[in-house]
Amino acid sequence: MENKEKNFVSAVIYVHNAEHRIASFLGMVIAVLEGHFEHSEIICVNDGSEDDSVGVIKREAGRADASVSISVVNMSGFHGLESAMNAGMDLAIGDFVFEFDRTAPDFDPEEIMRVYDRALQGYDIVNAAPDKKEKFTSRLFYRVFDLFSDVSCKMHTESFRILSRRMINRTASMNRTVPYRKAVYASAGLKADTVMYSPTGRGGEGLDRRERGYRSMLAVDSLILFTQLGYRFAVAMTMLMMLVSVFMIVYSVVIFAAAHPVEGWTTTILFLSVAFLGMFGILTVIIKYLQLLVNLVFRRMPYSFESVEKLTK
Amino acid sequence: MEQYDKIIIGAGLYGLYSACVCGQRREKVLVLECDPTPFRRATYINQARVHQGYHYPRSISTAMKSAGYFERFNRDYDFCINREFDKIYATSARYSWSDGEQFRRFCKAAGIPCEELHPERFFKPGMCDGAFLTREYTYDAMLLKDYFLEKINALKDVKILYGAAIRSIEARNDVYAICMEDGKEYRAGFILNAAYAGINQILDLAGFEKFRIKYELCEIILCDAGEKLKQYGFTVMDGPFFSIMPFGKTGLHSLTSVTFTPHMTCYQETPAFPCQGKGGGACSAFRLGNCNDCSERPETAFPYMANLAVKYLRDEFTFAYRRSLFSVKPILMSSEIDDSRPTVIRTYSKDPTFIAVLSGKINTVYDLDEVL
Repeated sequence: MENKEKNFVSAVIYVHNAEHRIASFLGMVIAVLEGHFEHSEIICVNDGSEDDSVGVIKREAGRADASVSISVVNMSGFHGLESAMNAGMDLAIGDFVFEFDRTAPDFDPEEIMRVYDRALQGYDIVNAAPDKKEKFTSRLFYRVFDLFSDVSCKMHTESFRILSRRMINRTASMNRTVPYRKAVYASAGLKADTVMYSPTGRGGEGLDRRERGYRSMLAVDSLILFTQLGYRFAVAMTMLMMLVSVFMIVYSVVIFAAAHPVEGWTTTILFLSVAFLGMFGILTVIIKYLQLLVNLVFRRMPYSFESVEKLTK
Repeated sequence: MEQYDKIIIGAGLYGLYSACVCGQRREKVLVLECDPTPFRRATYINQARVHQGYHYPRSISTAMKSAGYFERFNRDYDFCINREFDKIYATSARYSWSDGEQFRRFCKAAGIPCEELHPERFFKPGMCDGAFLTREYTYDAMLLKDYFLEKINALKDVKILYGAAIRSIEARNDVYAICMEDGKEYRAGFILNAAYAGINQILDLAGFEKFRIKYELCEIILCDAGEKLKQYGFTVMDGPFFSIMPFGKTGLHSLTSVTFTPHMTCYQETPAFPCQGKGGGACSAFRLGNCNDCSERPETAFPYMANLAVKYLRDEFTFAYRRSLFSVKPILMSSEIDDSRPTVIRTYSKDPTFIAVLSGKINTVYDLDEVL
């Protein structure tokens, strides 16, 4: 008989209107955990489902043996993937915690253990991503994110991931809130890895309208919060506009001297240009302040480290 | 047929306390106990807290009542009280129904001492938003048992009958007649039902309205505490969290958690559990056996409770599994929302008198004085 893992693992599963998918998915997770771990728990986060997802979960949970503890967190109304998963993570007590963001499995159950084994090799976070072409919008988002963030971590569309307790504690102490987990994990600065798998094709996202709307909002929020995109854009624009203002000042003076414009034109243009120049100057300062404020409010730790090595005595 | 002044059902603390009070008044008292010795269930198998109310931040009535009896219990039963540790109450940063500020205000309102400490002295960063040094002790049920037995032995009119199996309870004119399975019959004009988890079984026999309770088969884990943990008791509030604290004067710590301590729950009137058929013993919904002595007791939930505690406590607070205790705990359905634990005393009849008492706390035993 195979020796079961002594580590306690938790699995957090996001459930939103998934009554058709959740039974088989939960069944698969239960089977993997029962088969490989002495003790484990599963937390299903029910994010305002309007169908019978919870009923299905309850029936499926009845079949698990005593080594898996199963619970459901019912969110009060729709919160969206990120908050809901955070709620589940806060409840999880495992040494390692699996996050299943989607209940549509396009992976082989064996992948779960592959990811776990990889984590044991010294990675605080291991992602499992399908080895296929990403959707255009996802690709665009990750490209922009990568371009404008100071974190050098390639992000993918991921099906699930495993986190160590160290990682969870780190993210909890780094940020006051976790609006976008992936970015926080990426910026946590601990060792990360991604395991690619070939999708079995059963997947299919099955997002409803509410979830799609939520995801686009999340993309915008994340770009603003975690990357320099907003700041750089604003700074570039103000610089440009300031240049235009300066040009207008010079231009109006030249016209005044050379072409004798209509009376009052020069004063108006001069006044407008100087006023705009001042305005844009003030805006730059305000944007800088805003960025500092976001950092102060949002980030708790001024820096993060991966490890400390003592080289000599 | 034997005639008594009072018959008390259940040799837990409430039963033996009543027997002593009445015995000292020279009344003839019989205590009926189905186990072979007293204090084998709830009185022994619990967290052994002498409550001062901290546990009920959403029920100030429960808090104030237990605070009122706290001093008296500690004075009367000083010999079994463990005071030699610092009791820390903390409020979890997530999933708690009360936060640190609310807990502080609650303590102030209830008039119980609480000194704010820095949570990260004891807990991992970000896990708790408040930590408080409180005054709460634990009692040693075995020392308490010896004390009561000694007292009762000195009273020649008080008798405890062990291994008692009641078949029927009937009112006959001005007395209740209790018939036993072995054919004996005992009569008294006053019956006190202090059977705790068995309370509805007794009410069922007597034909009275039952308490609305649910039953939980609970596990208390006894641990060897590491050096750092020894001098502390921790309780993380107010939701699905845990307690680890000295278990009386045994030198062990008890570990319990809200989610993992109850192994099974039963919502029927009398305690019916799926394990009852398997034990081979005489355990049934109408005659609850002793789970702690049963071969079919559940497997320990230690790995789950331990992981929960480790998630919160700083790494220097270590503990190791010793053994588990199991018992069935009745919980009044009316107290689900405010998490209160009122002591309920119901008088079902007068002359002959039938009284039932249900309480989840040790130090409110004095409530019985009114009815005895």
